[in-house]
Amino acid sequence: MKNFKIAQPKTIDQITSLLSEKRDKYYLMAGGTDLLGEIKDEIIEPEAVVDLTSIPNLSYIKKEKDGVRIGALTTVAELAKNLMIKQEYPGLHEAANGIATPQLRNMATVGGNLCQRPRCWYYRDPQVKCRKKGGSRCFAFRGKNKYHAIFGGGLCYIVHPSDLAPVLFALDAEIFISSSKGDKSIPLTDFFILPKVTVSKENILEPDEVLKEVKIPAPKRGEKSTYYKLMERGAWDFALVSVAVKANVSGDVFKDTKIVLGGVAPAPWRLKKAENMIEGKKITENLLRQATKEALKDARPLKENEYKKELIETIVYRAALSLV
Amino acid sequence: MAKKEYSIDIKDSNLLYHEEFREMETEEPEEVPSPEKEKFKIIGDYTPRIDGERIVTGRAPFTHDIKLRGMLCGKILRCPHACAEVVSVHLSRARSLPGVKATLQLKKGRVKYAGEQVAAAAAVDEKTAEEALKLIKVEYKTLPFVVTEEKAMEEGAPQVHDSPNIDKFNDYNRGDIKKGFESADVVLERTYKTAVEIHHTAETHGSVAKWEGKRVTVWDSTQAIFNVRDGLAQTLRIPASRIKVIKKYMGGGFGSKLGLNDYTVAAVLLAKEAKRPVKITLSRKENSLCVGNRPSSIQTIKAGVKKDGTLTALYLKNYTCGGIRRGDRCSEPLIDVYKCSNVKVEEYTVFTNTGAGRPTRAPGHVQGTFALEGFLDELAHKINLDPLELRKKHYTTKNEGGTRIPYSSKGLDKCYLLGAKKIGWGRRNKKPGEGNGKIRRGLGMASQIWWGMGRPRTLADVKLHRDGSVEAVCGTQDLGTGTKTYMATITAETLGLEPKDITVKIGNTEYPWCGSSGGSTTTPSVAPAIRDAALKAANYMKNQTAEKMEISPDDVIIGKEKLSNKNDPAQSISFKELLKEMRRERVFHGEYVGRPLGYAYNTFGAHFAEVEVDIETGKIKVLKVVATHDSGRIINKLTAESQVIGGITQGISTALFEQRVMDEATGNMVNPNLRDYKIATSFDIPEIEVAFVDMVDPRINILGTKGLGEPPRIPIAAAIANAVYNAIGIHVSEIPMTPDKVLQALKRKEVG
Repeated sequence: MKNFKIAQPKTIDQITSLLSEKRDKYYLMAGGTDLLGEIKDEIIEPEAVVDLTSIPNLSYIKKEKDGVRIGALTTVAELAKNLMIKQEYPGLHEAANGIATPQLRNMATVGGNLCQRPRCWYYRDPQVKCRKKGGSRCFAFRGKNKYHAIFGGGLCYIVHPSDLAPVLFALDAEIFISSSKGDKSIPLTDFFILPKVTVSKENILEPDEVLKEVKIPAPKRGEKSTYYKLMERGAWDFALVSVAVKANVSGDVFKDTKIVLGGVAPAPWRLKKAENMIEGKKITENLLRQATKEALKDARPLKENEYKKELIETIVYRAALSLV
Repeated sequence: MAKKEYSIDIKDSNLLYHEEFREMETEEPEEVPSPEKEKFKIIGDYTPRIDGERIVTGRAPFTHDIKLRGMLCGKILRCPHACAEVVSVHLSRARSLPGVKATLQLKKGRVKYAGEQVAAAAAVDEKTAEEALKLIKVEYKTLPFVVTEEKAMEEGAPQVHDSPNIDKFNDYNRGDIKKGFESADVVLERTYKTAVEIHHTAETHGSVAKWEGKRVTVWDSTQAIFNVRDGLAQTLRIPASRIKVIKKYMGGGFGSKLGLNDYTVAAVLLAKEAKRPVKITLSRKENSLCVGNRPSSIQTIKAGVKKDGTLTALYLKNYTCGGIRRGDRCSEPLIDVYKCSNVKVEEYTVFTNTGAGRPTRAPGHVQGTFALEGFLDELAHKINLDPLELRKKHYTTKNEGGTRIPYSSKGLDKCYLLGAKKIGWGRRNKKPGEGNGKIRRGLGMASQIWWGMGRPRTLADVKLHRDGSVEAVCGTQDLGTGTKTYMATITAETLGLEPKDITVKIGNTEYPWCGSSGGSTTTPSVAPAIRDAALKAANYMKNQTAEKMEISPDDVIIGKEKLSNKNDPAQSISFKELLKEMRRERVFHGEYVGRPLGYAYNTFGAHFAEVEVDIETGKIKVLKVVATHDSGRIINKLTAESQVIGGITQGISTALFEQRVMDEATGNMVNPNLRDYKIATSFDIPEIEVAFVDMVDPRINILGTKGLGEPPRIPIAAAIANAVYNAIGIHVSEIPMTPDKVLQALKRKEVG
């Protein structure tokens, strides 16, 4: 680990002006649960670490008329224990509660969770220069790939590790970004990008931009959500596959359904075909399986991760049926 | 002492164990005391650890905590290539970095795995030492490598050593295997695989070395202080008399800290050159790569059985991979536990360019038991026999399948009875996989055999001071199992005191000799030695009392901190008073002398597991484990139960999660950390019920106690796999049994 400078700005403006000077090796740190690991493992060598926790008032969960606003520095633990979130967005509560361990949830933040880097073991090997790190090949493609992508791969086969992303995606969240050019808000669906767009990063953030807030619209009448995550061990594990399901449920009929998968693609992965097939229909295990099977025809598993298809079929029907 | 090349003789994985055990068998003591029939007060009770409070409050000094004046930080540069020729090593730039006090070349010639040490530096702090490593210039000529056993076995694979990658190391024959198969009604063949596991001790490996003139002191996180001392003496040609090795507390070893390590040698050499103490502690990554692992195995078992369940032939072919060293002998349970006249074993090691295998809590037996016990369940199903009945049918009171010498004691039958009752064996699926639904339940069991007989000539002292205080001293080391506590309880029991009255001293090569804490030998070595010393002390006290009271020593009873006249209890003298009258302190030397030949000394046990399998996700949940063990007399039930729970926890972890993953393209281990190398969390551990048969072995030692360190680690993965088989109707046959493998197995079942 090399020495690096620490910047502790007091306002967002200070950060954005600091970052506007084209400083490639400046890294933003929130809870540090991912960044410090990357530094210690010598995956990155920062010139400076910009500590966001020195900025006041970036940690909040505010309920407003048209939805809820969550500050980027809100910890995952705070999100998990918020009763309003639990009642109105149960899927988000479940996702937050299933992340890592209590110790990590106490440190990790909502913004950091969305911006964390992939856990691909080739990316995390300091000796390996894969495509994501400017190299010329993806080592997972023909290598050890049981945890890798079955959708959206090509060039790079990481899976996005965030548990909050699929559920926020399903809940139609928006995110607010600050930069020296001013603030902007975009739907979360436009935030994540696939390797074929840009292989070196997982989202659209430019070096001078900071994720400031997540906003979720108020739930519509009859809206329900849930998050199912399959892990190898009982805790402290990333998803083998996960699914966020949101729908307007009346009886056993789903409308405006969103099915978003985690752990299967370089970004949260929506099963649109399946959503369409069940829209407005009476929900049964059989229908859900058929719909998922149809959507899984687009999957391109690698040598060791075909089993993820079966897991997806199972959790999609189980998650959806739990909302009936 | 020259700075030239040296080599360390680290023995091949569990062969070290086997050699030692054979040696232990051939030593016949002149006079063997038989175990006492006496009822004890503290021995056999639940005694909390005497050092428990210090440990849980963070005040117990581990090797990582050692801080000495002027101490430098040592770091080791490791080869990034799986196979390469070291062309040149240039240390000068590193050596001239301010703050760097010593540098060292550790390797010439061929580097055979990624992570092998090449050079080292010691500097005033960690940062400078790390910088120094970056300034060491090593020129490598990279060479072709092979890191998985499947590839290493292929024709034309790069050779790891100057000999073929496949090497037969065990050939065993008993009876006539051909005739055995001919007389069988049913013949079954199955293949089982076990993954490479990493020990992953909580405290990573580390040593501190300090020279004073011609003497060197080494603080080491080790299971074997005397092995470290003698290893250093041999490697560096320093007289053993000038080396002192100290180990106070340690965070686990599991076999990976049994002998001298190469980084310890580096610490000693760096300290010599720098003329300052040097501390080297390894990172989690280094711990993953280069301090040992449990060799993998691919075992094919073929057996013949008659319709009534009689085994007529047992054949095992094993390919085991211990990286650059030999793999594990996995055949012992198959040769030993069950009655069978015709047995054939062929074991081959497969070399790869990966870190060396090393004894790992019951080396060989864990892998061998997984295969053998899984096979027996599949066989029992073939002939419609209750798997437990099949085992009982082949019960034997002699070792090696009933063909050789009798066991001194064997409580396995009692383990079966106890375990079956506690788990409710009758609840199992009579036909594997007969249940319905998406979540299936099942019950399974497996037997355990291991050694655990103790090392003859283990020494221990009991020292009586004139102020009434008492010391129990032995050059053993507590690897976290409670050695200190039973030394106190045995001494206290014998002298009529309380454990808190005894000052226990261990972990120093200046104390009486004791062997390594490995092979489940510590308790059956140290307990009888300290008992012997304490009995001698008690006899001395009795004699003194008898003289004073003018009675026979036989009439003196010792207890409740005093010595009294058996015939007139009112007549007594306090323990302390009596010691005050001594003119000098006294030391009593105790020894574990050994045991009679002509018997096999083994530990036994049986684990029973209940599981739930989600057949749509392949996820296994262990619901309950019942562990029954015969380890002779249990000295401390509290720490013994903890030991069993620890072994089961580790076993569940390896049954379900743990696996070293090697990448064929880079030659690197892709999961050298605790995120990707998955160890069970508390959510994964079920209710564990422990029951000891607690029978006193009539010959093994004065206390009739056997070892317990490894036994609870042996049958658990097999019992879980068998419970999964009972639940879903197919044996997963490979550990770890991760969801992908369970789903694959279910697909095999569909295909039929």
